[in-house]
Amino acid sequence: MSSVDINGVTKTFNQGRADEVVALSEVDLTVGDGEFVSLIGPSGCGKSTLLRLIADLIAPSTGTITVAGKSAGAARKEQAYGIAFQQSGLFEWRTVLKNVELPLELRGLSRPERKAKAEQMLALVGLEDFAGHYPAQLSGGMQQRVAIARALAVQPPLLLMDEPFGALDEMTRERLQSELLGICAQTGTSTVFVTHSISEAVFLSNRVVVMSARPGRITASITVDLPSRDDAGRLSPAFFDKITEVRQALRGDAAPARPAENAVAGTDPR
Amino acid sequence: MRWVRSVLPPVIVGVLAVVAWELTVSLGRIAPFILPAPSAIWKELVAQRQNVWEAALASGENALIGLIGGAALGILLAMAASRFKPLTEVSIPFAAVLNALPIIALAPILNNMFESTSSIPRRLVTAIIVFFPVFVNTLRGLREVDPLHQELMHTYAASGWTFARKVRLPGALPYVFTGLRQASSLAVIAAVVAEYFGGLQTGLGSRITSAAAFTAYPRAWAFVAGACLLGLVFYLTTLLLERLAMPWRTRLIA
Repeated sequence: MSSVDINGVTKTFNQGRADEVVALSEVDLTVGDGEFVSLIGPSGCGKSTLLRLIADLIAPSTGTITVAGKSAGAARKEQAYGIAFQQSGLFEWRTVLKNVELPLELRGLSRPERKAKAEQMLALVGLEDFAGHYPAQLSGGMQQRVAIARALAVQPPLLLMDEPFGALDEMTRERLQSELLGICAQTGTSTVFVTHSISEAVFLSNRVVVMSARPGRITASITVDLPSRDDAGRLSPAFFDKITEVRQALRGDAAPARPAENAVAGTDPR
Repeated sequence: MRWVRSVLPPVIVGVLAVVAWELTVSLGRIAPFILPAPSAIWKELVAQRQNVWEAALASGENALIGLIGGAALGILLAMAASRFKPLTEVSIPFAAVLNALPIIALAPILNNMFESTSSIPRRLVTAIIVFFPVFVNTLRGLREVDPLHQELMHTYAASGWTFARKVRLPGALPYVFTGLRQASSLAVIAAVVAEYFGGLQTGLGSRITSAAAFTAYPRAWAFVAGACLLGLVFYLTTLLLERLAMPWRTRLIA
């Protein structure tokens, strides 16, 4: 059984109005169990929209979305996925531990149960010593780790991430990437990961899905098989080959547009 | 050291102001019946300390009951208004009208509605004055929810009530306390001023008017000082409650 199944999904915002936007057009995508899939593409290509469709935060205009064998709506209600965004979205009035406990609380777990589970998740992201801190007392990277721990708290079969490391510095970002891979391997979670960064997508993923804009659609799906996913892996020729391949796929339809843009710029009255 | 540096300047300015005041009055620049010297007021305050204390208790009780009643009403109505959109649209103009009402002018009318020994009119005046800042600030806080928090709670399939309890209310707390801080000082002012219009003669306001009527200006000023202290106590207590209610903020100061 696949973790996510997207069939012929189209998403149109403001349908029938003057500002109608086709964000996604005829998208098909399957994410296998335990697979790590990255969505990459220029801004406005609909990668975040696609993630939010999987999360049932918005509804598709046409097509069907299945998450863990159920409709996206049913999967959301069962907390069949965990989600993390670019902003950690922690609740400032809750301690780190209480933040991680929140999804468990809403599931109706008893106090000792959720405390044990939350402590376990904090240990997983290496923050067990900060359980009693408030989010504002932590650095950006630590807050993001708490958000990941929270997303994993209910041990969902699927993890959805929308540029979770986008606001972090390069060093923190690389450390968290390695940590995330370790966590996913340990928990067997399938992951859909939205990013701008080619190297991030290649390093993390089993498969990089390349998207293009206006209308948003999938233009390539590149399988990545690195010899190892650690610092040595980052230096391997296979890593650079894949980066080049993804870059070319991204340029595929961007290149012809460039001369036209220049021509317009040349006649710009400014 | 930092503590000394933040406290010292206002203390020095305050002492200098009192000294200047004392000198101006004692050197005969201002007639004592217009403005008594601080030393004269202090002497009265010490002599009348039992009366000031009792009057402050009487006014303080009215202010406290009015404050609690008005604030509770403001918070509850704000919660209801934030929950049901149409109620917001209806309630905001009503609250604005209530706020524009010269409520002190209502005091004599309210006095006539109840018997002359009743404290209820004063408490009502206080509650009505307190209501507006608490209502408006709480409503703003309840409506300003981080969209990210909203989405997260949606992914947890949280019900409306759970969302209100776990996100809306704690998120609104800083706003609620902004309203309460304004309200706490207003409550004392309202309770004292409402006494100017007759009724029981136990509070600070009635003591001030009667002292002034007997041209006992230093004594009137002594009760004014008492009212000022009472207002400070209310304000500082609210600040303390704010610290206790929001530990995540106080911990950040260190």
